[in-house]
Amino acid sequence: MTPLEWGIVVLALVGAFFGGVASVGIVRLPDVYTRTHAASKSDTLGAVLAIGAAALAIQTDLATIKAVFLLVFMFLTNPTAAHAVARAAQDQGIEPWTAGDEEGES
Amino acid sequence: MPVADSVTVRNTVAYAIEQAESAASEGQQQVSLHLVAVASTRAVDPDAQTELGQAKDLLDRIEVWLDEDLGADPPSNLDVELGVIGADRYLFSPGDYADVILAYADEHSIERVVLDPEFNPGGTTPMLRPLEVELVRGDIDVETAPVERPARSTALARAATLPKYLTIFGASYLFYLLLSSYKPLDFLTGAITATIVTALLAPIAFSRQPSLTRVPGQFARMALYIPYLLKEIAVANLEIAYVVLHPSLPIDPEMVELEAAIWGDGPVTTLANSITLTPGTLTVSVSEQAFDIHSLTGSAREDLFDGGLERAVRFVFYGREAAAIPSPRERGQGDGDGTIESDIDDPEVADDD
Repeated sequence: MTPLEWGIVVLALVGAFFGGVASVGIVRLPDVYTRTHAASKSDTLGAVLAIGAAALAIQTDLATIKAVFLLVFMFLTNPTAAHAVARAAQDQGIEPWTAGDEEGES
Repeated sequence: MPVADSVTVRNTVAYAIEQAESAASEGQQQVSLHLVAVASTRAVDPDAQTELGQAKDLLDRIEVWLDEDLGADPPSNLDVELGVIGADRYLFSPGDYADVILAYADEHSIERVVLDPEFNPGGTTPMLRPLEVELVRGDIDVETAPVERPARSTALARAATLPKYLTIFGASYLFYLLLSSYKPLDFLTGAITATIVTALLAPIAFSRQPSLTRVPGQFARMALYIPYLLKEIAVANLEIAYVVLHPSLPIDPEMVELEAAIWGDGPVTTLANSITLTPGTLTVSVSEQAFDIHSLTGSAREDLFDGGLERAVRFVFYGREAAAIPSPRERGQGDGDGTIESDIDDPEVADDD
């Protein structure tokens, strides 16, 4: 395998790992705010790494540029979406879970 | 009646005066008409002087109109108040404006609010409908003044200027060509597409005039900011991964408030999104003076109040000098555990550009 192929494999694997972290996080974390953390951060990085791997693998100029645009827009839109979710939750008056309420229902 | 400069503010003021006058001539009781300019920035922000100056100008003009409309002998039971409200906080959403207006109405027992149909203090985003909806919360009558107004298109077309057209045209043309296959036909279709995009978007795309001196600098500094942000994102993700995968789920979530020393739509959006992307923090709402931020762990809160991101965003939008400010913790925010860290010179961002 060439170094480039190694790079692609590593990016894809790490991306998949963070995608997995996001999924586990959504299941394990206690409330809507903490879950949004998992969904906004790990998910962004996972997707970005995967797209980065794809961009390296495709290796034609045009498709790579498009993949880079995808990356940029993921970075712009994901936090915005997370903010929208969290803000909606706050507007609904949902109280954040704290370490105090261990038995807090999810 | 809240006033802001618009094409119909003159007629709306005339309408409000006429209504107040007829109310005063009908009954014996005292009628008072309050005309207030709503300030969106806080008095401490750098833009505030300009905004307050504009508000003063407008109120001066209104005073002249009052003399014109009320004539030589105004009804003795009518008094008129002029003033600026909301200068003590940063107003962001229509809800914020409604809060300020309702609080004022409450304080002066006002029963009726007259809105200018072109009332649009927030810049280019439409404000009136959401503001009306928010105002209905209060126990007062809300009405939009029935005044003539010019067609929407002319009002919008005025807002667009040559630099805006050129910027949008250039950006969309470049974007089109980047994704095209560089055949001669693409250059033609690209030009047509960019023209259409420009015509549609120029009136709404910028809240401020793009300037050749400011924008390239911001882009250059943005280019420095991105690697820093990527590093922060990577660290944030390792932390989240550790926390999420740790068997005992060691989280300590808490909602905190950060009063950020930045202003304007672009910087606030950038900082809010950056906060969401980095260590264990999530911007929940941006309201009035502060960001409400949900933080997942204690160390995430520490980082937040150390203010690295805030400083970086200030660096991007206002230049290098603006980056050297006290961190939020040094400004007396945060959990106040007394551990003041002095890492003012963040090497990632404070270096050369």
